[in-house]
Amino acid sequence: MDEIKVMDEQKRSMSLNRPVEHGSTQFIVTQLGGEQYGIDIKYISNIIRMSKITRVPKVSDYIKGVINVRGVVIPTISLRLKLGLPEEEITKKTRIIILTLEQHESIGVLVDEVKEVVTLEENHIERIGYEKDDKERFLSGVGKSDGKLISLLDITSVLAEVVDV
Amino acid sequence: MDTSQYLDIFLDESKEHLQNLSDQIMELEQNPENMDTINEIFRAAHSLKGMAGTMGYKRMQTLTHDMENVFSEVRNGTFKVQSGMIDILFRCLDALEEYVDNIQQTTEEGTNDNQDLIDFLNNILKNNGEIKPKDTSRAPVNKEDSVDSSTSSDNTPSEKQERWQEIRITDTEKMLVEKAFSEEINVYGLTVYVEEACVLKAARAFLVFKALEKLGEIIVSDPAAQDIEDEKFDLTFSIIFVSRSDSNEIRAAVKSVSEIEEVLCSEYKLSEEMIKTEVKSAIETKTIDEVKATVQSDSTAALTPKMTATSTPATASATKPASKANAKPVVNRTVRVDIEKLDNLMNLVSELIIAKNSLISATASEEKGVNGVNNAIHEQIEYLESVTTNLHESVMKVRMVPIESVVAKFPRMIRDLSKKLNKKMELYMTGEDTELDRTVVDEIGDPLMHMLRNSADHGLETNEVRVANGKPEVGSIFLDAYQDGNNVVIEVRDDGGGINVDAVRSKAIERGTITPEQAVTMTEKEIIDLLFLPSFSTAKQVSDVSGRGVGLDVVKSKIESLSGEVEVKNQYGEGSSWIIRLPLTLAIIQALMVVVGDEKYAIALGSIQTIEDVPQEDIKLVQAKEVIHIRGTVIPIIRLRKVLDIPTEEAAQKKNFTVIIVKKGDKQAGLVVDELIGQQEVVIKSMGKYIKVPKMISGATILGDGEVALILDTNALI
Repeated sequence: MDEIKVMDEQKRSMSLNRPVEHGSTQFIVTQLGGEQYGIDIKYISNIIRMSKITRVPKVSDYIKGVINVRGVVIPTISLRLKLGLPEEEITKKTRIIILTLEQHESIGVLVDEVKEVVTLEENHIERIGYEKDDKERFLSGVGKSDGKLISLLDITSVLAEVVDV
Repeated sequence: MDTSQYLDIFLDESKEHLQNLSDQIMELEQNPENMDTINEIFRAAHSLKGMAGTMGYKRMQTLTHDMENVFSEVRNGTFKVQSGMIDILFRCLDALEEYVDNIQQTTEEGTNDNQDLIDFLNNILKNNGEIKPKDTSRAPVNKEDSVDSSTSSDNTPSEKQERWQEIRITDTEKMLVEKAFSEEINVYGLTVYVEEACVLKAARAFLVFKALEKLGEIIVSDPAAQDIEDEKFDLTFSIIFVSRSDSNEIRAAVKSVSEIEEVLCSEYKLSEEMIKTEVKSAIETKTIDEVKATVQSDSTAALTPKMTATSTPATASATKPASKANAKPVVNRTVRVDIEKLDNLMNLVSELIIAKNSLISATASEEKGVNGVNNAIHEQIEYLESVTTNLHESVMKVRMVPIESVVAKFPRMIRDLSKKLNKKMELYMTGEDTELDRTVVDEIGDPLMHMLRNSADHGLETNEVRVANGKPEVGSIFLDAYQDGNNVVIEVRDDGGGINVDAVRSKAIERGTITPEQAVTMTEKEIIDLLFLPSFSTAKQVSDVSGRGVGLDVVKSKIESLSGEVEVKNQYGEGSSWIIRLPLTLAIIQALMVVVGDEKYAIALGSIQTIEDVPQEDIKLVQAKEVIHIRGTVIPIIRLRKVLDIPTEEAAQKKNFTVIIVKKGDKQAGLVVDELIGQQEVVIKSMGKYIKVPKMISGATILGDGEVALILDTNALI
C-alpha cells in the first residue's frame, strides 16, 4: 500500500513539475550524422524500425512517402533533408519516430539512430534567442548532458513548414 | 421540466409528422373527399400538437391546435376542403417547419406567433369553410372563442371519477394510513387524469410522483409504480397519499405538471371493503417505520431511480412506438444509432479486411517456400473471406438510407413553384426507395433541389408556348433513381425546351468566357459544360427561383466532392436530362492493382472501361500527343511512368504496352502501366494533413503485406 502511495506521489510531482518553468524535460536523443538532436518526449507516440516507405510523387524531396503503422497511413519525412544535411543511408540502426501533435494527426520522422532518453533541467538548456540563423530556425535550444551538446528540435516549427508545402 | 433528453425524439418525429402532413395534404388536394386522408391528417396534426405541448413549445402547439380544429370540422362533415384552404394549410406547414428548424438550432421555437395564419384558420372555422378576407378588428376575439370551444369539444364527455376509491389496500398499507390518522396527518386519495394528447405519459406520471414526494409520502398507487413507469396505464392513475399539506396545495402541485388534465383529490377514509383481506399480517411484527420504508421503496423508489434514467436510449425510444402507432399502422422495429458508432464499426471492418488480405498473401508466399500448405488453412481463409465480405456488406447496408427522406419534400416544392412561376407542371418520381450511404444522402438534397428548380424555371416552357409547340399544356418533370452496379444514378428529366446551345454559345462569347474562334470548334457537349462554370446563367430574367448564376457550379462541385459525376443529355426542343452518378460507398472500393516501375498503384474499377494490349507501332502522334486508335475512337495516351516521375529507361524497349482505358464522363484516356496484378478490395485511407498530395492521388490503401499503395484518381489525370 505504502509503495503505491509513494509511486502515486512521485507521479503527481512529476506531472506537476513538468510545466513549471524550472522543471525538467525529457528528450529522446537521436543521431543525425555527427550531431545529436533531442526531441521533446511529449510529442513522441512511437518509435519503429525502418519499414517499407511508399513514395508519393510530386512532393518535396524531404517527404519520403507514407508508411503503415498499425493500419494507419502516416506520412514520413527525412529529418536530415529537412535540416539541410546530406541524405541518410538506411542502416540497421535507422528508426522512424512517430510524432503526434494534435488531433491524432501523426507524422513519421526518419533518423539515423535513437540513442537514449535524457532528462534535462531547465538550467542545463541554453535557449536560442529570436535571431536564429538558417540552420538554427528549427531549434529551440541547446542542452548539455554529460559533457555532450544536444540540439533541441522545435518540433512545431519543423512540422509547420511541412504543412505549407 | 427538463425535456432536453426528449429533444431528439421530438425533432425526428415532428419532421416525420410534418412530412406525413405534407404528403397527405397534397393527396387531399387531389381527392378532397377522401376520408382516410382527412383522418390521417387529423391524427398527424393531433400528435404534433401533443408533442409540441409536452416539450413546452406553446406557439407551435397553438398553431397545430387550430389546424386540428379545422380538420376536426372537416372530418365531422361540417364543411368541405377547398383549394384556398389547402394553400393556408401549406403555409401553416411552412410555419411549423420554421418552428422545428428553430428548435433544432437553438432549442427555442422562436417568437413568430403566426397570428395571421391562426386568424385564417379561425375564419375558416367561423365561416364554415368559406375563405373570406379576415376581419382584423375581430380576429383576436375570435381566436379566444374558438380555442375555448374546441378545448371543450376536444374533451371526451366521460365523467371524471374519483377512481382512487377503487384502490384496495393491504394490511401494511392500512397500518400506515392508521398511523397517519393517529398522528393527525392528512391522508388523501388522488386520481390524476392525463391529457389525451399526451405523448410521454410515463414521464408526466413521474413528474407527478416527484411533485407529490415533496409534500408527503405515497402509500400506494394504482396501477403499480412499475406499470406506470412502463406506461401500462390509460389516461388515469390513482394514488393514496399522506401529507401535512392541504388538498389545494396538492392539487396545485400536480397541476403544475403540464398536460395534466384534471386532478381529483379528497380525504381518504378507511372502509372495510377497501382492504385486501388475503394478505395477512405476516409483516405486522415490523415497526411502522420499517414498513413505511418498504412501502416507499415499493412505490416511489422503484419508480424514481429508473425514471430518472429515462435519458437512456431504451426508455426514450420505448416511448416512440406508442406515439408512432397512431400515425402508421405498420411500425418498423428500428433502433436509432449514432452515425459515429457506425463509422467506428466500418473502420473495424476495414481493419478486418486488411488483416484478411495479409493472411492471404502470407499463405501465398509460404506456398512458394514450402510445398503444399495445409489445405485446412486455405479452407479457413476462404471462409474468413466470405464472412468479411458479408460483414462488410451488412455494415454498409446499415449505413444506407433510402433517398426518400430527401426527395419526399420535392412534390410540395414543385407545387409551389408551379404557382409561383405560373406554369402548370407535374413531378413524377420513381425509385424513392433507392438507398445510398447516409453521408451522401445528407448532402444530395441541395443539388437535386437546384436541378429541379432549374428544370421548372428554365427547362419547362410557359403553358402558351407548350400548347403552341403541340406539347401537353402541363409540363412534366421526372426524378428517377436507380442502382446501376456499384453506382446509384439519379436522373432529373423534363419535357421542356431543352438547352439552347446557340444561346449558351453566344452568351459565353458575350461574357468573354470563350473567344468566337473557340466557339466554332467547340462541340455541343463542351458548350453545355460551360453551364457548370461559376457565375454562368442564361436566364434572361433573374427570378428568385433560379438564375442567380450560383448553382450549377455548386451542384457540380458538391457532386464531385462525393466522388460522383454529373452528365447532361440534351434534345433541343424536347427537353434535357441531368444525370447524377454516385458511388454506393466511399470507404471501400473494388480496385485494379497495377505495377508502374517497382511501385504498386490502385485504380478504381468503376472508372476502367477495358484493358488493351497495344503494340509499340500502334501508338501514333497527333499534335505532338500520343494517341491510340481503338475500335474507331482516338484515345490519348498517358504514360504513368511520366506523370508519376518514375525513370523510363527500359520501358522504351518494350514491344507491347498494357494500356488501361479509363473514362470520365464521355472522355477517355489510356493509361500505360508495366504490369497488372489483379482485382482487389481496397480500403481507402486518408494520408493525413501533413502532406499535400497531388490531385492525381486520391488516397492510400494498405495491402495484404502491410505495404502502402497509392490510389490513382483517373479523373484528375484525364
